Amino acid sequence: MNTNLKNLTIKNFREGLTEKKFSAFEITEEYFKYIEKKDPETNAYLLLLKEPALKQASEADVKAAKGEKLAPLTGIPLAIKDNILIENEITTSASKILENYKASYDATVIKKLKNEDALFLGKTNMDEFAMGSSTENSAFKKTKNPHDLSRVPGGSSGGSAAAVAADMAVAALGSDTGGSIRQPASFCGVVGLKPTYGAVSRYGLMAMASSLDQIGPITKTVEDAEILFNAIKGFDSMDATSAQLQTTGYKQKKPEELVVGLPKEYFIEGLDNQTSKAINEAIESLKKSGIKFKEISLPYTKYALSCYYIIMPAEVSANLTRFDGIRYARIASRGSQTESLKEIYFRQRGEGFGPEVKRRIILGTFVLSSGYYDAYYAKAQKVRKLIKEDFDKAFDSSENGVDVILTPVSPTPAFHFNEKTDDPLKMYLSDIFTIPVNLAGLPAISIPTRPMESPPVGFQLIGKHFRENDILEIGKLYERINNITQ
Amino acid sequence: MTQIDKKTLEHLADLARIKITEKEEDKLVEDLKKILNFFEELRELDTEKIPPMAGGTDLKNTTREDETNKELVKNRDILINSFPEKEGDFLKIPPVFE
Repeated sequence: MNTNLKNLTIKNFREGLTEKKFSAFEITEEYFKYIEKKDPETNAYLLLLKEPALKQASEADVKAAKGEKLAPLTGIPLAIKDNILIENEITTSASKILENYKASYDATVIKKLKNEDALFLGKTNMDEFAMGSSTENSAFKKTKNPHDLSRVPGGSSGGSAAAVAADMAVAALGSDTGGSIRQPASFCGVVGLKPTYGAVSRYGLMAMASSLDQIGPITKTVEDAEILFNAIKGFDSMDATSAQLQTTGYKQKKPEELVVGLPKEYFIEGLDNQTSKAINEAIESLKKSGIKFKEISLPYTKYALSCYYIIMPAEVSANLTRFDGIRYARIASRGSQTESLKEIYFRQRGEGFGPEVKRRIILGTFVLSSGYYDAYYAKAQKVRKLIKEDFDKAFDSSENGVDVILTPVSPTPAFHFNEKTDDPLKMYLSDIFTIPVNLAGLPAISIPTRPMESPPVGFQLIGKHFRENDILEIGKLYERINNITQ
Repeated sequence: MTQIDKKTLEHLADLARIKITEKEEDKLVEDLKKILNFFEELRELDTEKIPPMAGGTDLKNTTREDETNKELVKNRDILINSFPEKEGDFLKIPPVFE
């Protein structure tokens, strides 16, 4: 058998499986063979789950052989970001403090995927606790960009994006707090969807900043992103922010009927030339297919970065108190000397967390501390409101608003290793176009421009709350124009 | 607005229960100064009458029945086995009050 892993999407995997062109076991075996050859160079995976994956694949084949009705994801080999829990498997969030932690339950998204008989090839590398934009903050390894090994894959879901881009998985799950699905997808030339806040349960996702975190798919095509999103979305009583989706009373418009806004604050002078050119070409080709564009303004955009870097660390400092060396796992002590409770806390967190995690915990502790709370945290919450209202106004249909907003994903394509590690602010700036979306809780997708640039460039489509379909429809149209959908 | 110095940093590290080395201290103070300086731009905004956005959603009081989660009970052994220190089925910790 010689299946081309390169062209393997969720959609044509399913066709191949039902038409018995191949078995799930054969494909899964081939993936592991390829990962073992390729991943020492890419470093996308932290952990391979070969045995359970092959077992799940055989079970999928038995169902297919019996002619049972297959779920949309039966037998599909997926990669999972290492901050999402899979029962009984080591789950580290790429942090030393959790090096030996074994998850005691399945995240809701994992349970849903298991119910569809999907299988998991392994856990992917990431910035420690999802804090970073290059995956350089992993405590364990540096993932490389499959398009150019001297460049970063983006982050924090860099391992998931690289695994899909390097054909080491059909698709993957990532998480996105300020751009961590969309930015690496854009850097690696794959598709990344951040769903609406509340659309996908975060139960079993290690919390970073709870008012911003979302789980979403990283895939080769927009159509695959849609299939995977449909499999993981839905209400879950285990996540208090999970929403009951209300889709009634809304008739899905055709892509040609949607009006797309271009916010002038996102097409700024600092935008890299290649990025700007590729995105303008994408806009032109969508125009030719009948999509209407309109210039809009989101005036509070420039304050989003400051707002985010106050709110996010504040939530981080609270969420990460649970990692204390007592509850989950403990780094072995060097001496035989017994430590007091306080000594355990200080040493475990001092040695277990990397520099960026410490920086954010300290910053978050500062903005929440007495005397500074009003000037920073309370202020940022108000600015967040202004940023959200920017979007509300732009989308307001009674004010002749737009349906979707198109922007770049990142001001530059993938940068080189160590380019931004010394200066945290420089690193933070690579998320300026993705952060406002999380602050407003909106859905957004990153799609590679075609023909693919080298290094790749992505454009972002932002939709109204719970209108993932609008951005997916335009995305699918763009891929049809470029003959991507197979 | 604020100047962060070593003394403030040591206080914050103490509140956050993180041991910071001397070497880390210098870099952290420098980074935090830069970041806080960047936040200064927010001062130009008049937010007096703006209500705060307190979370990512407008949902309120989402609750569920207070029942035993059977899934978690099923996996109690995995949970207990991962305790760093234990006595029987209990998580063992050093004395809280010394």
